[in-house]
Amino acid sequence: MSGAVDDTPVLRVEDLSVEFRVRGAWWPAVRGLSFDVARNETLALVGESGCGKSITALSVMGLVPRPQGRVGSGRILFEGRDVAAMREAELERLRGDRMAMIFQEPMTSLNPVLSVGFQVSEALRVHRAIDAAAADAEALRLLEEVKIPSARRRFADYPHQFSGGMRQRVMIAMAIALKPALLLADEPTTALDVTIQAQVLGLLADLKSAQGMSMLFITHNLGVVAAIADRVAVMYAGEIVEIAPVARIFSGPVHPYTEALFRAIPRIDREEQSLDAIGGQVPPIDRMPPGCRFAPRCPARRPSCEASSQALVEVAPGHSVRCGVRAPAGARAA
Amino acid sequence: MRILARLFQVFGTNKTSWVGLAMFVAICAMALLAPWIAGTDPLEQDIIAKLRPPSAEHWFGTDEFGRDVYARLVWGARISLSVSISAITLALVVGGTIGLVSGYVGGRFDMLVMQVMDILLSFPALILGLIIVALLGPSQANLIVAIALTALAPFARITRAPTLIVKERQFVEAGRALGFGHGRILFVHVLPNIVSEVLVMASLWMATAVRVEASLSFIGLGVRPPTPTWGGMIRDGFENILDAPWLCIYPGLAILALIFSLNMLGDGLRDATDPKLRGE
Amino acid sequence: MIWYVAKRLLAAMPTLVAVLTVVFVIVRIIPGDPALTVLGDQATPQALAALREKLGIDKPLLAQYFDFITAALTGDLGRSLVSGRPVIQEVVAVLPHTLDLTISSLVLGTALGVPLGVWAALRRNRLADYVIRIVSLVGLSFPVFVSGIFLLMVFSLHYRLFPVIGTSNLADLGDRTWKLVLPTITLGLVMVAYITRVTRSAMLQVLSEDYVRTARAKGVPARLVIRRHALRNALIPVVTVVGLYLGINIGNSVLTEIVFNRPGLGKVIVTALNQRDYAMLQGLMVIYCFLIVVTNLLTDLAYGLIDPRVKQA
Ligand SMILES: Nc1ncnc2c1ncn2[C@@H]1O[C@H](COP(=O)(O)OP(=O)(O)OP(=O)(O)O)[C@@H](O)[C@H]1O
Ligand SMILES: [Mg+2]
Repeated sequence: MSGAVDDTPVLRVEDLSVEFRVRGAWWPAVRGLSFDVARNETLALVGESGCGKSITALSVMGLVPRPQGRVGSGRILFEGRDVAAMREAELERLRGDRMAMIFQEPMTSLNPVLSVGFQVSEALRVHRAIDAAAADAEALRLLEEVKIPSARRRFADYPHQFSGGMRQRVMIAMAIALKPALLLADEPTTALDVTIQAQVLGLLADLKSAQGMSMLFITHNLGVVAAIADRVAVMYAGEIVEIAPVARIFSGPVHPYTEALFRAIPRIDREEQSLDAIGGQVPPIDRMPPGCRFAPRCPARRPSCEASSQALVEVAPGHSVRCGVRAPAGARAA
Repeated sequence: MRILARLFQVFGTNKTSWVGLAMFVAICAMALLAPWIAGTDPLEQDIIAKLRPPSAEHWFGTDEFGRDVYARLVWGARISLSVSISAITLALVVGGTIGLVSGYVGGRFDMLVMQVMDILLSFPALILGLIIVALLGPSQANLIVAIALTALAPFARITRAPTLIVKERQFVEAGRALGFGHGRILFVHVLPNIVSEVLVMASLWMATAVRVEASLSFIGLGVRPPTPTWGGMIRDGFENILDAPWLCIYPGLAILALIFSLNMLGDGLRDATDPKLRGE
Repeated sequence: MIWYVAKRLLAAMPTLVAVLTVVFVIVRIIPGDPALTVLGDQATPQALAALREKLGIDKPLLAQYFDFITAALTGDLGRSLVSGRPVIQEVVAVLPHTLDLTISSLVLGTALGVPLGVWAALRRNRLADYVIRIVSLVGLSFPVFVSGIFLLMVFSLHYRLFPVIGTSNLADLGDRTWKLVLPTITLGLVMVAYITRVTRSAMLQVLSEDYVRTARAKGVPARLVIRRHALRNALIPVVTVVGLYLGINIGNSVLTEIVFNRPGLGKVIVTALNQRDYAMLQGLMVIYCFLIVVTNLLTDLAYGLIDPRVKQA
C-alpha cells in the first residue's frame, strides 16, 4: 500500500508553529504540527480554506512571508537538517534543487517581465554550472514534458501570453527542473482541465517512481487524493486532526471533521467536494476557541470538548486522531 | 457628523501627520497674530539702518530699505497662506463640482471633461501659473485663480471616481425612489466616502500652491510690493546676496517649513488612510 | 520598432490638437484683448488695431482657432514682437543649455534615486528607511529657487568652488560641464527625492508579489532576486514619475536659470513675459505642448522596453 521503504524521512516536522501578527500581537496560524514524509512517499494535506496548508508548505521552504509572519517554534528537518534554523544562503542552495514548490496561484506566480523559457531555465542556471544554451535546451525539454503545446515556438513568450492552465504547467516544469528530493505541490492541478490534470498527475507519479521523489501534496480534490496519495493528513484551524493511510481515511474516518469532509464519493473530475457541507466557519486565528477548535461546529460535541484542547492519539498503527470523544487519550482503539 | 468622526479617525493613528499639522497650525497662528507678534511695521523704512545683520534689535536683520526682516516674514506668512488656502478651496469647490457632475452625467460629456482635466494636469503648474498671471496681470485675485486652475484636475478626479461607483449602487436607486434630489444623494453618499482622500490631496496640493505662489513672487509676478511676500523678499534679497545673505536665508527657510509641514501632513494622512500604503 | 513609434506618433495627434486647443483658450480667450495686454490701456486705437491685425486676432474667433492650429501643426510658430526673429530660432539658440540641464538632472535623479529607494525598501521601518524618507520629503519641499540660492551661497560665495555666472561657452566642454554642476544638483535634488519615494513604494509593492516568492523558491540568490525579479518590475511606475517629472522640470528650470543666470527656455519665457511679447509667448506655449507630447511618447517607449505586456497593445 504505502511506498515508504526508507526509515529516515525526507521531511520531519516537529511541533511546528507559524505565527502571524494581527493587530500588534502574534497568533499561531499553524500550531503543534508534527508529521513525516518518507522517501518516495506522497502525503496529501487536506482541509478547508484557511486552515494553514499553504503556510505549512511555505515554512518548509523557508518562505513564510516576513515581517508579518514567522516560524514561532518547532523544527523542520529536511534530510536531517533543520531548515528553520538555516541561514538564507544555505536555504538558497536547497531551494529549487533538493526541494521545490509549486504555488497555488498560477496567475501571479510568474514574473511578467521575463520570458517563460528563461524563468524555467533560471533554476538550472542558478544551481548547475551549465551554459545558457544547455539550460535552454533542458528548459525546453521540461516544457514539452508538461505538455505545453508548440513549446519551442512559445519558449520566448511572456506569461501574459499564456492561459492559467499553461502557466500552472510552467510552474510545474520549473519545480521539477532539478529533480528535487521533495516536491511541495500546493493545489498544482486546480487550473487544469481534466485530461491535462490526469497527464500531469501521471507525470508526477513517474517522477516519484523514477527518482524516488517525495511529495507533500495539497489539494481540495478528494479524487486527486485517492489517485496520488499514500497517506493523508487532515488539517483544521492550524492543527492536524487526523492522519492515516489513504485507504483508512476513505474507509474508516474517525474524526467528525474528516467524516464530513470525506462523505462524498471521490471523483477525480469534480472540484470542491463537501468542504463546506459542515455548517459554520473556521474561526479567525486571533479568535480561536480555547478547547477543541472544531467543537463549535461539531455534531458529536460534548461539554468537555470546549474545556481543554485535545491531544493527537494513535488509534491504529499509522492512524492518529485528535478527538476527545472518538479517540479519547489513553483509550487506544484496536 | 460622519465627516468629523472620520477626520478624527484619520488623524488619530499617525505621528507624521500630527507633526505636520502642528507645524502648519503654528505657521497659521503666526500669520493670524502678526499685528501682535511682528513688533514693528513691516513697511516702515529706516534708510540709516539698512542691510543690518541679525541682532537683538532686528532678529533676522534688515533689508535694503532698512525694513525689519522678522516683521516682514511674519506678515508675509499671511500672503502665502491666504493665496494658497483660497486657491485650493477654489480648486476643491470648482474641481470637485466638475468631477461630481461629470461622473454623474457620464457618457461622452464625462470623457471630454476628463480629457481636458488630463491636459491641464500635464502642464507644469508653474508654467501654467506663469502664463495665466502674465496674461491676467499680477494681482492677488489673479494669482489665486491661476493657482486654482493648476490644481483643478486632481480634485475633479477625486470626486468623480466615487460618484461613478455610488451612481451604480442600489441605495441611490432607493434614494431616488424616495424622492431625494440628485444633489442630496451626491452630498450624502459621495462626500463622506472621500473625506480622507480630499484631505490628503488638499494638503499635498496646498504644498504645491505655496511653492507656485512663492516662485511667481520670486519671478516678480506675485502680489505687488511693498506688500511683503516670502518669494518677493527672496527676490529683493537675491540682489544683495553677497552682503546680506540673511535676506534670502530666513524667508527661504520659512517657505521650506510651510511646504514641508503640508507634505508631512498629506503624506502621513495618506499612510494612515490607506493601509496598503502604510509606511510608504 | 519604427512602426510602433509611428503608430504612437499618430495616436498622439488628437492629444496634441487637444492640448493646443487648451492653449488657445488660455492665450486668446482668457486675457480678453491680447493687444490691450501688450500695449497697455494708454495705447491709441490705431496702434491697437495695427497690432491686432499683425497678430491675426482681428478675425472671428473660429477662424483664429483654425489658423492657430494649422500654423502650430505645420511648425509655423510666428515671430517675436520684440526682436522680429522667428520664435523657433530664438528657441533653438538656447535649446542646448536646456537639454544639458534636463538630461543631467534626470541622470542624477535616476542614478541616486533608484538605489536609495531600493535601499529604503529593503530596510523598511529601520533607521535608514526613516532617514531616507524624511530627507526625501525635505528634498521635495524645497522650491528650486530656494535650494538653488542656498547652494549658490554655500558653494559659490562661501567656498568659491563653482562660478556664479552661469552662461557657458557651448563649444568648451569643460566650461560647459563646470557651470552645469550646481544647476544640475539644484534640479536633480528634487528629482532624487521623487524617484527615491516612488522606487521605495514600488519595491515594497513588488517584493510582496507572488513571482518574487517564486524566484526565491527556485533558489535564486537574494541579490539577483532584487535586481532581476523585483527591480525590473518596480521600474515601471518609476518611468511614469520620470515622465511626469520632465514636465515639472520644465517649470523648475525657469527658476534655476534665473538663480544661476543661465540661458535657456525658462529664461526666454520670462523675458517674453516681461517684454509683453505676446507672439513669442504663444509660440513658446506651442513648443511646451510639443515637449509634453514628446515626453509622453518617450515614456510610452520606455514602458515598451521594460514591460513586455505593453508592446502587444
Ligand atoms: N500574510 C498573512 N498575514 C496574516 N495572516 C496570514 C497570512 N497568510 C496566512 N495567514 C493566516 O494563516 C491562515 C492559513 O493560511 P493558508 O494560506 O495556509 O491557508 P490554506 O489552508 O492554504 O487555504 P487555501 O485552501 O485557501 O489555500 C489564514 O487563515 C490566515 O489567518
Ligand atoms: Mg493555500
